[in-house]
Amino acid sequence: MKKFLYALSLSTLLATPLAGSANAAETVSILMEGVPDTEYVKALIPEFEKQTGIKVNIEVVNYAEMHTKLVPQLVAKKGSYSAIVVDFYWVGEFVKAGWMQPLDKRIADDKFDTTPYVPALMDLVGKVDGVTYMLPFYNYAMGLTYRTDLLADEKNKADFKAKYGSELTKPATWGDYLKQVEFFTKDGFNGVVNQGLRPDPIAMEWSNYLFANGGQFQDANWKATTNTEAGRAALSQYIQNINKYGPVGAASFGFDEAFNVMAQGKAYSYITYNFFRTSFDDKSKSSVVGKVEIMPVPGTAPGKSGSLNGAWGWAIPKSSPNPDAAWTFLKWVESFEIAKKRALAGGSPTRNDVFADADVLAKFPYAAALKDLLNQSHNFPTFTYTPQFVEVLGRELSLAVANQKTPEAALATVDKEFDELARKDGKLK
Amino acid sequence: MTTSVVNNAPNRIHVHDRRFGWLLTMPGLALLLLVIAFPVLWALFTSLFEYTLINPGFHTYVGAGNYAKALGDPEFLHSIRVTAMFVVAVVVLEFALGFLIALMLNDTERGKDLYYAILLCPLLMNPVVVGLIWRMFLHPSLGIVNYLLGRIGIPPVNWLGDVDVAFWTIVMVDIWHQVSFMIVLLLAGLAALPREPYEAARVDGASSLQCFWHITLPLMRPVIVVTLLIRMIFAVKTYDLVYIMTRGGPGVATDFISYFIYRSAFVGLDLGEASAMSGILLVIVLAMTAYLHRSMRAIS
Amino acid sequence: MAAIELRAVTKTYANVVSAVRNVDLTIGDGEFMVFLGPSGCGKSTTLRMIAGLEDITSGDLLIDGVRMNDVDPSKRDLAIVFQNYALYPHMSVRENLAFGLKLRHLERAEIARRIDGISAMLGIGPMLDRRPAQLSGGQRQRVALGRALVREPKAFLLDEPLSNLDAKLRATMRTELIKLHRRLGATMIHVTHDQVEAMTMGERICIMRDGEVVQVGRPLDVYRNPADTFVAGFLATPPMNLLPGRLEAEGGQLHAVTDGFRCALPRAYAEAYASHAGREVIIGLRPEDFHETPDRAGALGGLPVTLTVTTVEALGPETVLMASLMGEAGPEIATRVDFGREYEVGSRVTLHYDTAQIHVFDVETTKALARPLVSAG
Repeated sequence: MKKFLYALSLSTLLATPLAGSANAAETVSILMEGVPDTEYVKALIPEFEKQTGIKVNIEVVNYAEMHTKLVPQLVAKKGSYSAIVVDFYWVGEFVKAGWMQPLDKRIADDKFDTTPYVPALMDLVGKVDGVTYMLPFYNYAMGLTYRTDLLADEKNKADFKAKYGSELTKPATWGDYLKQVEFFTKDGFNGVVNQGLRPDPIAMEWSNYLFANGGQFQDANWKATTNTEAGRAALSQYIQNINKYGPVGAASFGFDEAFNVMAQGKAYSYITYNFFRTSFDDKSKSSVVGKVEIMPVPGTAPGKSGSLNGAWGWAIPKSSPNPDAAWTFLKWVESFEIAKKRALAGGSPTRNDVFADADVLAKFPYAAALKDLLNQSHNFPTFTYTPQFVEVLGRELSLAVANQKTPEAALATVDKEFDELARKDGKLK
Repeated sequence: MTTSVVNNAPNRIHVHDRRFGWLLTMPGLALLLLVIAFPVLWALFTSLFEYTLINPGFHTYVGAGNYAKALGDPEFLHSIRVTAMFVVAVVVLEFALGFLIALMLNDTERGKDLYYAILLCPLLMNPVVVGLIWRMFLHPSLGIVNYLLGRIGIPPVNWLGDVDVAFWTIVMVDIWHQVSFMIVLLLAGLAALPREPYEAARVDGASSLQCFWHITLPLMRPVIVVTLLIRMIFAVKTYDLVYIMTRGGPGVATDFISYFIYRSAFVGLDLGEASAMSGILLVIVLAMTAYLHRSMRAIS
Repeated sequence: MAAIELRAVTKTYANVVSAVRNVDLTIGDGEFMVFLGPSGCGKSTTLRMIAGLEDITSGDLLIDGVRMNDVDPSKRDLAIVFQNYALYPHMSVRENLAFGLKLRHLERAEIARRIDGISAMLGIGPMLDRRPAQLSGGQRQRVALGRALVREPKAFLLDEPLSNLDAKLRATMRTELIKLHRRLGATMIHVTHDQVEAMTMGERICIMRDGEVVQVGRPLDVYRNPADTFVAGFLATPPMNLLPGRLEAEGGQLHAVTDGFRCALPRAYAEAYASHAGREVIIGLRPEDFHETPDRAGALGGLPVTLTVTTVEALGPETVLMASLMGEAGPEIATRVDFGREYEVGSRVTLHYDTAQIHVFDVETTKALARPLVSAG
């Protein structure tokens, strides 16, 4: 028995991670999502390693695994990640749990300038209640992608005018856009393709509909406001777009499947993340090269936007084994020079100075449109329970699309559960 | 005296044997305790507290509170219902289909190994891969399934987007993926059956159908019970397929219990409630196991 | 009750191996027929073809004059008792017995009546509610027999049913089966490789070898008049001594001659053997035709033969002497003498051979030279 206990304790010892004993000070470990912007960062790493002598180890996983992998490391006294990337979803939760280090002192000491960042992004993945926890990494604000060739077609123009009495042009308002969706749906061609998969694809996409109708998720006191005229209109329009004007199955599409429908030239429009814009001009992925453009989701009046904002931020966790080396890396990766290189590689910038850069504009003429889109986009409510709220929203929207609940009943549930979560978080008194 | 010694001898050996047996199984039992009992007990303990990942720790004891919360949640009860329907559907269909194929394979002489190898392929695939492949195949406008159906004049089916179809689509894909499991176990059972009772039964006047009913089924019963039990327990835990293919949608049509608990724990961050839900699931699975175990005992 | 007839029945596996060739055989209604032969001779296959468990490749099987080749085994109304009993392991003894009856939709009362009758007859009443796994080999054997009997079929097919039993039990069951046959008067076909079973049980024996029927006849007829050296060597223990020799004509009489043995043949056989005079033959001498005194060696008086004893097996009722003709160098033969006298290895003894019992076989064909039948007794 003694022997057995001895063996047992020995094996326990061996199983204990030996993280502390490695010379962690010289390696910056980061968990990142497998997306294009991560690849652009990875490509530039050797430059940083040469400059500083600090090794960078980037672990790439898919989105679904990130949160599950991060949390145990964040809860630990000393985790294995030096720096992390934070989806705007998680900001409230991470701040509430106290998992991120404030960066203000480091920013002041090194005179790192945060003013070039797009203000909306600084609000979303930068500052929380006056404290800077993150530097905005890349944005995934949503925009309306549409087929320019169809708009330019003379017969379409004439037919549209005959039917609606107005010109067929790039939609100035949400109402114009909805008419075009109806107009283009004919002969097996679809006016729109949607991403109706639970929970985040449908929740994110519908947010654009809500904002486009002038709606908001909550008022100034964090009382939910989706079950309003604007919200109900947005949901009815969404249901109609999926079930009447969209391809079969759009109710279960993720963004990749919806993108494929659009890229195969089977739909007129698709509201999606701006980083897809580059892919429409990629011959290996798209059969509509040069025929798709992106614009802010039109709003209630010309010049108003209904776009949903979204972004990732860099942060240093409290459990970081080597926060100083991590900061050195953050400073470098978010410098104008490197941010511009990432943008030139195809990344989605977060800094106005990068958007305004001549080289960037020369390579991507639509960068100006993206900048507008970003500056006008609306933020999703960020608080401790954002992920739960996305679950609730996704479930109720999906039930409404499946005709198992009326828009009103679904939104009533959304509001009720939002209020509960906001109250639990202390936002709603 | 002499006789008593003689009588005692085997007893002593027996006791000694038993102690030695315990000694031999000890490391295994200890390991089992460590890797199975400990997490289960930890989860049950956690379920009695308000334990969230944002505020981890056993600070607030809530007793049965988490259980009451879970059982009072209509979405959770719905996920139990959907899961139960799914388990019954896949186990019944996979058993019927699997038994039929196993019987056919058992009677096949030529090319048996080849069929066997082909049938085993899906089983060797990771469920995530299975989900992704089928999601691609079943794409309503770009997938091969609707394309082929279109060639014979059937309009496109909304496999994953229609609330009445999606559940059965998941059932179908699960059958595709898991039916080989049934085939493998049942075929092994069939191959091990003695040949003689069949010959006796045929001479006794039994038709093929009567042979199946009176000989094959009763002789296969232990194998069948174990197969059904294992398959049921795995079916209750189905997670990957819905995660990849529907995320529980459309609506809540495929919101299985495992996916629901996963969300409570890792999205809701409420480990207390998620543990309570796991506890409820554990009770359901244990009840199923006990029931099948007892019916197996009654047979043999 | 049924007569079973096989006409040129042949069984070929995979178009190459012939397991059974051209079997012509008629088993009379109520007859007890034994199929005897070494393992692999085709006797079990023949039985299984009659039962319908094996397809007949060519030829016809008739039961009561009706061709049965393509009739399903379930419709032939035969019962079979298997070597390993083949009881239904998941059923109690009672259910085992009732199974065939239930399939025939017999009334419950009738089933109970028959089971009671059979279990009383076989002494298996106390174990009716047990499972086969709880029974001893002998008990299982009885149940298997009972399952066949209770059906009251047209004929019983017994496939080496006694071979898994120990010697004592086998002897008991042998007598019981004989009694049973007498009582029921049913047609029975019994397959065995044990010549004692064949001799004691069969009304007729059908001896098979390499898929062919070698000889059919009443046990003692076959014993007295084996058709060839195979039957001669198979049917008794120790088997007939087969010695290479020749027939010599001398003084108007034929002699069978081999090293150390010279025997004048009875005049009654002379005509039959005349064609082989002066030719090589195989001489067959049964051990039991050697006697210690001339008065026992038949009406013709014995032929004294001097032998050197090499082995003595005192079995009790009899003694088997292995001895060589012509001193120690000569061919060794087995003889079987009464118990009583003691023999010493190496001693010389003189035994008296009953010359009327001599067998002569053709060297080429190994067939017995046709001669007037020697009748039993």
